Amino acid sequence: MSFAPVLHAEWLKIRTLRSLCGTLLALFAVTVAFSALAGTSGTSDPEFDPLFTALSGVAPGQIAAIAFGTTAVSCEFHGGGLRLTLSAVPQRGRWFAAKVTAVAVPALLMGLVTAFAALVVARAGLGDAASGLTVGEQVRGVVGCGLYLMLMALFSAGLAALLRSGVATLSILIPFVLVVSFVIGDAAGTAADLLPDRAGQVVLYQTYDGTLGPWSGLAVTALWTAAALLAGAWSVRRRDA
Amino acid sequence: MTSIDVQDLTKEYGPRRAVDHLTFRVLPGRVTGFLGPNGAGKSTTMRLVLGLDRPTSGTATVGGRAYATLREPLHHVGALLDAQAAHGSRTGRDHLRTLAAGNRIPDRRVDEVLEETGLAPAARRRVKTYSLGMRQRLGIAAALLGDPEVVMLDEPSNGLDPEGIIWIRELLRRLAGEGRTVLVSSHLMNETASFADHLVVLGRGRLLADTPMREFIDARVRPRVRIRTTDPTALRDVLARHGHDAQQHEEGHWTVHHARVDDIGRLVSAEGVPVLELTAQEGTLEQAYLDLTAEEAEFAAHPSTPQPQEA
Repeated sequence: MSFAPVLHAEWLKIRTLRSLCGTLLALFAVTVAFSALAGTSGTSDPEFDPLFTALSGVAPGQIAAIAFGTTAVSCEFHGGGLRLTLSAVPQRGRWFAAKVTAVAVPALLMGLVTAFAALVVARAGLGDAASGLTVGEQVRGVVGCGLYLMLMALFSAGLAALLRSGVATLSILIPFVLVVSFVIGDAAGTAADLLPDRAGQVVLYQTYDGTLGPWSGLAVTALWTAAALLAGAWSVRRRDA
Repeated sequence: MTSIDVQDLTKEYGPRRAVDHLTFRVLPGRVTGFLGPNGAGKSTTMRLVLGLDRPTSGTATVGGRAYATLREPLHHVGALLDAQAAHGSRTGRDHLRTLAAGNRIPDRRVDEVLEETGLAPAARRRVKTYSLGMRQRLGIAAALLGDPEVVMLDEPSNGLDPEGIIWIRELLRRLAGEGRTVLVSSHLMNETASFADHLVVLGRGRLLADTPMREFIDARVRPRVRIRTTDPTALRDVLARHGHDAQQHEEGHWTVHHARVDDIGRLVSAEGVPVLELTAQEGTLEQAYLDLTAEEAEFAAHPSTPQPQEA
């Protein structure tokens, strides 16, 4: 059995669930809306960073990316759904790879479109305050933002496969990105900078002064994601369906 | 060639042994009824055959191959395990399309099985609006998608209306008639008796019987004859003289135990006893099954030989 039909099946599963398409639209809508809002508010903060301000909608918007990755996997665990899936595709490693790909591609594409739209909309509000941004910085911000959202979706997908539950996954991740990371991040130094969301968000800043740069930060997030996906793959392969 | 072969199969969940050194074959061209009380290991065995659970020891193969090594398995094996497995938010048709796509089955075939299972009018409705019977039909449609040589259905008549039960019976007979291998689990005896040719019976994970259904019943339940007469005295006399064990009921009819209708009919006719009614009461699968399980319970309560300690 080759990979393409399995990927086709997984893509169909995502396309045919309204809730999944809905979370991708929410990712776009929430991110752009919050970025637009940030663009119109004050720019007098001494730590004002025009690139991060323009992309700040990602902070709430990433919840949708997390929900997308989680739901895409957890919908397999409803009432023996995984058994049905694995009786059609018994090669579990191949199935999980197809699932991950079917989550990654739409998350990345929607992430890029969202970041671009957020930047355009926020810049319209920021006006001259954002004029210092170079083309290179803006491209880096948009591409990095797309990658970041994809990695967060995949991180959630891996965790959902490990925990076999959407509710458990979301109740860990959402408080984590909303509260824990925020609070610890403000308080502490280098260790907190290595948390998956903190590290990956460095790429959203015009200027950065920590130990991590934009790409090394994304690489740290990618390591977290890889670990979650490996744990998920291990669980899918080893455990009884 | 496409039989299901279960060889010394054992599955333990922690300390509980769900399947215990099970060996049997399911052959093509007949419907094999898979019987046993709840928790006897029928569903576990089916999951082991499909490679969904890992056996503690032993093997289960389809056509000589482990399920997980089959390429595009829906073309070989179709299974219904749980009618609730379809995601409620998809339409019935989309649900089948997602299964079909991974096995390169065209959408045309999806529409065919929807038609065949009578779901075509509901195909574009979401599964959560389906009744249990419709979900059951959807699960059967999924099992038929790849036109497989082996069909394995776990409790397919659950939730079906009387019309649906007749439909599934005819479907199973037809599939077996086409030379396919058909394994159907159930705990409804009358239902199983209506479609099965062969029986595999489990009890507490062990194989209790693997025989043709007729033999299973005949070996355990002696046939009886129901008879009604206008002359009870003559009937009693004739039956007693020929050593038959007869019993008169308050309603006026008689039951002759351990007798065949051919013998009793000839006998009473030769003796000139007036007969109003003469009916064969063949043993039913239910009686045979209860006889077997009673024996099992007896065996479990008073083991005649020391039992190996369960791990």
